[in-house]
Amino acid sequence: MDNADAVMPVKPPTTPMLGATAQLTAVDGLRLGARAAADTKVHAPDNDAALVDAVRRGEAGSREALYHRFKRRVYALAVRIVGPIDAEEVAQEAFIRIFRGLTKFRGDAALATWIYRLAVNAALSHRTRRAAAAQPEAGNEIDTQPSADPPHGDAVLRGRIERALARLPVGYRTVIVLHDIEGLEHEEVAQILRCHVGTSKSQLHKARARLREMLAADGITAAALETG
Amino acid sequence: MAGCKTYATERLSAFVDGELPAGEAAAVRAHASGCPDCTASIDGLRALVTNARALDVPEPPPTLWPSIEGELERRERFAWLKISPWRPFGIGALAGAVAVAVVLVALPAVYTRRNGPPAASPGAEVVAAAGAAATDPLLHEAEAEFAQAAAAYERSIEKLRALLAREEARWSPHERSRMAERIGRLDDAIARSRELARRSPGDSAGNEQLFAAYQEKIAFLAAAVHRGGEAGDWDKPGGGGQ
Repeated sequence: MDNADAVMPVKPPTTPMLGATAQLTAVDGLRLGARAAADTKVHAPDNDAALVDAVRRGEAGSREALYHRFKRRVYALAVRIVGPIDAEEVAQEAFIRIFRGLTKFRGDAALATWIYRLAVNAALSHRTRRAAAAQPEAGNEIDTQPSADPPHGDAVLRGRIERALARLPVGYRTVIVLHDIEGLEHEEVAQILRCHVGTSKSQLHKARARLREMLAADGITAAALETG
Repeated sequence: MAGCKTYATERLSAFVDGELPAGEAAAVRAHASGCPDCTASIDGLRALVTNARALDVPEPPPTLWPSIEGELERRERFAWLKISPWRPFGIGALAGAVAVAVVLVALPAVYTRRNGPPAASPGAEVVAAAGAAATDPLLHEAEAEFAQAAAAYERSIEKLRALLAREEARWSPHERSRMAERIGRLDDAIARSRELARRSPGDSAGNEQLFAAYQEKIAFLAAAVHRGGEAGDWDKPGGGGQ
């Protein structure tokens, strides 16, 4: 799939969630990004280890609880790595791997880090399969044609950032998604990507530089970024 | 972009994250205080990170959990094949069991026909064999598993159809007609596969085709639900269905 021109979904869904009728009951105990809190939608143990145990014991609703705890992070990651069209398929595959692999999860890493790793692997495998089946990915080149319309407003600016992000090479994109968007530390990014911390840092700085270059080519100056 | 080339953007990014050694960080700070380009770059990088952190978190479609649950259920239903003593033979063992059952039932009939009246008709033998197959415990268990998996797919489809019904109210008659036509084709495929599976009890190929047909319908419905009012996207790549 060509992700280069993919527009990220920003509108809320038009249909209600299935089975998500319960109240927010818990906040993920891990730091892992400020957006984690909104993911838990069904009654579940507050801490990840207890939830994992519940899933392993086959307790009713525990799988769905774990899904709701991590669904937005997994789905957002999938959207940004493979694009919105394939994101659902990738998120499904990631959760299948998560539930099937949970018996082997030893707790060496935080649950969220382990889940991110499986999600990234599912996304990258998907891209590899797609790339093998189709033409090479287009759109990694920087668009040097400035846009006629100057950006205005947060939503427009973020839309431009999302589009520039979608045009980044996948390695850069993945590290910037994990660190800058999801808010992980380099140690966690390195665990997820199975690389050195130094590599994670250098990739991130190159990714940001490339992103700034793309945004500048799109007429988005530092001042525009600051004012939104 | 900045015109100053004293520090590469990567180094300024590391400076923003506080990763530079103290000496280099001080040098960057001193340089930036007199360099509008580098100051703008640093401010732009900080703003980029702030904006990135504030990007929208896309909400997963409501169909995601049902599809995960259905897929897990499907895989778990067939997991017994992987752990049972029949594993080395898999579905072939089922076919073998059917063959044995047929032989056991047919042999007495052949023996009777050779050695005395009245011989059973060939049709009666087939019926008898089918009856024996239906009472074979292993085959019966397999068929029950297939039936439960099919029922799980049907439930997922029902849920999706209920969600879609809400969207359909907003569509034009033409769009509703197109949807009905597509669903009709998917239903035909399911019916054909079901008939194939019915004719070959215990044969995994028929059931796999049936499940593939169910999955295709679920993917199509999920895509239609996910797109909400954008019904015109069904025929586009990634629109599900065909």
